[in-house]
Order: sequence, then C-alpha cells, then structure tokens
Amino acid sequence: MGPGAWRPWPRGSAMARVPGHAARVAARVTASRQGRIWGLVAEQAAARGGRVSAGDVCAAVVPGVQVTGAWLSAARIAEAGHLMRVTDEVSGRLAELELTLGEGPSLDASASGGPALASDLADGESGSRWPAFAPAACAAGAAAVFALPLAVGAIRAGVLGLYRDLPGPLSDFQLGDALVFADTATLLLLDAQDRAAGTPGPGAGPGGQPAGLASHRAEIDQATGMLTEQLGVSITDAFARLRAYAYVNDLRLRDVARDIVARRLRLPLDPGLSLDDEA
Amino acid sequence: MDGQLLSETFVELTDTMVADFDVIDFLHVLTSRSAELLDVSAAGLLLADPRGDDPRGGLRVVAASSEAARLLELFQLQSDQGPCLDCFRSGQPVTATDLSADQRWPRFAAAAGQAGFTAVQALPMRLREQVIGALNLFRATAGPFDAEAVRVGQALADVATIGLLHERSMRRSDTLNEQLQTALNSRVVIEQAKGKLAERLGIDMNQAFTILRDQARNSNQRLSDLARAFVNGTQAIPGPATSTRRQRQPSAPTPHPGPPARA
Repeated sequence: MGPGAWRPWPRGSAMARVPGHAARVAARVTASRQGRIWGLVAEQAAARGGRVSAGDVCAAVVPGVQVTGAWLSAARIAEAGHLMRVTDEVSGRLAELELTLGEGPSLDASASGGPALASDLADGESGSRWPAFAPAACAAGAAAVFALPLAVGAIRAGVLGLYRDLPGPLSDFQLGDALVFADTATLLLLDAQDRAAGTPGPGAGPGGQPAGLASHRAEIDQATGMLTEQLGVSITDAFARLRAYAYVNDLRLRDVARDIVARRLRLPLDPGLSLDDEA
Repeated sequence: MDGQLLSETFVELTDTMVADFDVIDFLHVLTSRSAELLDVSAAGLLLADPRGDDPRGGLRVVAASSEAARLLELFQLQSDQGPCLDCFRSGQPVTATDLSADQRWPRFAAAAGQAGFTAVQALPMRLREQVIGALNLFRATAGPFDAEAVRVGQALADVATIGLLHERSMRRSDTLNEQLQTALNSRVVIEQAKGKLAERLGIDMNQAFTILRDQARNSNQRLSDLARAFVNGTQAIPGPATSTRRQRQPSAPTPHPGPPARA
C-alpha cells in the first residue's frame, strides 16, 4: 500500500504523506531538531518503501544517537509490553530479560513516566537497582542501557530501549535527540492505534511530521483532559480526537487547544464528523 | 523581608519533602512563596529540557505564581530572547531594573510591559557546573532589587535544585536527567488532570489545581500519582463543586460520560 493511500480526509496535500517528500521538507528545516530527526526516520521508511512507522524510529535512532541497538515495545497490545521491533539479537534478548526477570529499565521507565538511564550496567548503582537484570544484560553483551518512555503524561504508548556494548552516558545532545526520537515514536504509535481502531487521528503537521509537543504545551494537555470529560473517552482517545480535529481543519494543535481551554470550542461528540459536516 | 513568612515558607517547603513528596507541588509552592516573600509581582520557574533546537538544550516552564508570569515565560522561550534565557545560558544572575529603557531584549521588554512587569531578576538553578533551570522574579515597578531579597531568592532557587533531586544521588548525570524528565512528564499529567477536573466541575484551571493539590495533601498522596489515577478514571476527586455542578456551555448538550470507547 502506498504511503498516502490510507488517508481518510479530503483536505491537505497527499504529497505530505510521501516519506521522500517528508525527508526533503525536513532537510530544508535543519534548524529544527524535530525536523532533522523526522527526516532521519522518514529516510528509513523510504528505504524500505513503506509508510513511516514507529519501527522506523527504532532503526533510525541507532545511528542517530550512536548506540549499538534498540528495541521498541508498545503498551497497548499487551500489559507486559508487546515487542514491536528489535534492531539486533542483543536488543531482543534485553527485552526478553526484562519480561522474564520482571525488572529492568523499560519497566522502570514505563512506571515512572521518566527515562531510566544506566550508562554503566557493571557499576554498583545499576547492580542495586536491577540485581538480576544488570548482570544478565552484561552477560548478553550490553554495557549501557537507556530506556525512554513513550508517553504523553498519563497516555502510555510504549517504551523505546537503547543499548551500547561499551559503557558511557548519552551526551546531553544525544539525550535531547533520543527524547525527540521517542516523542516521534509516541505519536506514530498513537496514530497506528487510532487507525487500527478506525478512529481518525494523525498528529501530522507540515511534511507529514507529527506536531511538536515539546513547548507551549500546557494548553494542549489541559485541553486533552477537558476532552476526556466532554466526550466521555479515555485520555488516549481524547488526545487522538484533539489531533484529528486540528489536522482535518488544518489548524495548529496549540490553537485548537487554546480555544478548547478558553471554552470557545467544543468538539463534536461523533468522531466521524468534521467541521464541514457539522456546519 | 518578612522573617515570619520566611520561616513559614521553609516549614511549608520542608513539609512537601516528606514521603508524599511531589516535585511539581514543591516547585509551585516555591514560586508562590517567592512572589510573596521577595515583594515581587510574580515568579516563574523553568527547567532544562535537552529536546530544544539549541544544542545547549531548551527550557520548559514548570511552575509560575500567576498566569501572566507563565505566559511571559512562554513568550521568552518562543521568541528565544530574554533575561531568563541569558541566565540559563550563562549560569549567572541577570537583572533588568527598568525594561522600558533596556535595549537587550526588545521583544521581551514589550511583552513584559504588556503583562504589567517593568523589572526582572533571573536567578540560576545550578548543580556544580551544570545549570538545570532558572527562577525568575517579575516586578511591576522599576528600580533595583533589594540585595537581601536577591540573596533569599537565590537560596530558594538552590532549595528548588535540591528538591528536584530529592533523595537521589546528585553525582550521576544519568540521575539528574531522569529526575528532570520525570518532573517534566509529571507536569503534563497534572495539566491533563486539571483540564479534566476543570471541565467536570465547571471551574478554571487554577481552581482545579488547588483542589487536586489539597486532595493530594489530605490523602497523603503524591500530586502526580493522584493526577494520573484521576485521569485514568481509577480515582475520583470529591471536589467542593460536586453539589453546585453547573452546565458548562449554554447550548451544547452534556455528553454522557460513558465507558471509554476502547477498554
């Protein structure tokens, strides 16, 4: 299936869904970290000829932040975490170890909503934090592990795990990139869930890129909370509806959010209705 | 300087550092009390977030004593110009005693004037060589900041840094980054909970925050845990407005809060 084929709405350019185009758009906005990273993810999708997915983030983050391997698990499919993608055998083994042992960085990241960063699995701190996982992970060939939650507040989409075969921390710059890779994976996972459930809701912006969340976001989060109450849906679905409304009506997410928070706008109860249908 | 208020502030801050410590609650108390104690109009607190486009990383607003201060902080981040950014980037305090005559940040000065602020003092939150955020004090009137107030302000910024690293080793950059990011995600959960509660009770975001915070304190829960449970529908908030719930919008039907579309 072509990358633009699934798009259910008439408005906007179909070109925006073509990964190659997205990569070119991203290349032009090199000033933006988010745009640069989207370009790296889109290149992965273009190389395999498919639509951009969270798995492409997994592939792109490995050279992107100079780690040895990565794995990505989705929260929605199974409580214990559904392993969606691994880049090598060691990554798969690390994910498996966490499930087997019931402890590890992905589980911690998922529980706390913050990253679990262990730049040296052989040090005392990692050993006391994960007495079973740390030595087992070392034996499997990992020396450092970094797990990033794929979350938007209370919305949990999964975990992105990274490992290195030599100890050493992510630099601040690499951590910043890794967090943006994780944000990208979060939105792609949520979009995939929305499509699977038949709910419209891509968080796409210019060039097919998911809308940025890093700044100016309090209104977005407040509006999501308001929608969960207004529409009687889960927080995940409320966020999907917010993004879908912005996308369908070609509005900026934060502008829609601001109108909802100011109680100037209420979204239609039926997700099938766009602004035009309503009018 | 009100000595009584100062000691009460430290007692209150210490109270938030017990078992149900919540960093966002703590930083919120800190900005509110800073504004009162230091005789300024408002205070805001920003934390480092390495996601930013700047290779040095960006900042996120995590607490503010007033909406005007929060919006001005956001404006600084958006326009990439202002005393708080300079303070964060240099790690040094930055003072502007009269923004109307200050040439350093024309866009910021204009926005500050519109918000009703004429003077600003930005104080770094430092952990050895690393700057992890900034505490910013805004005042309506021009003129120098009282030297003692600046010293106490810096002490409060230092307390904020310690609170952020509550009970955790400060030696490892891994730990610091974990704590900062966890705090930023907690902020998101709390904003989502504020929205849900504000909508349910027909109140504004500040009132919603107060109810959430009081409920967390009364039940000895961490604010972010309560917020998460409320957002996920596993815990109710018995707000004072349950008996005075009003129609939220004049024309729109009240949606039935049925089960989530996908369980």
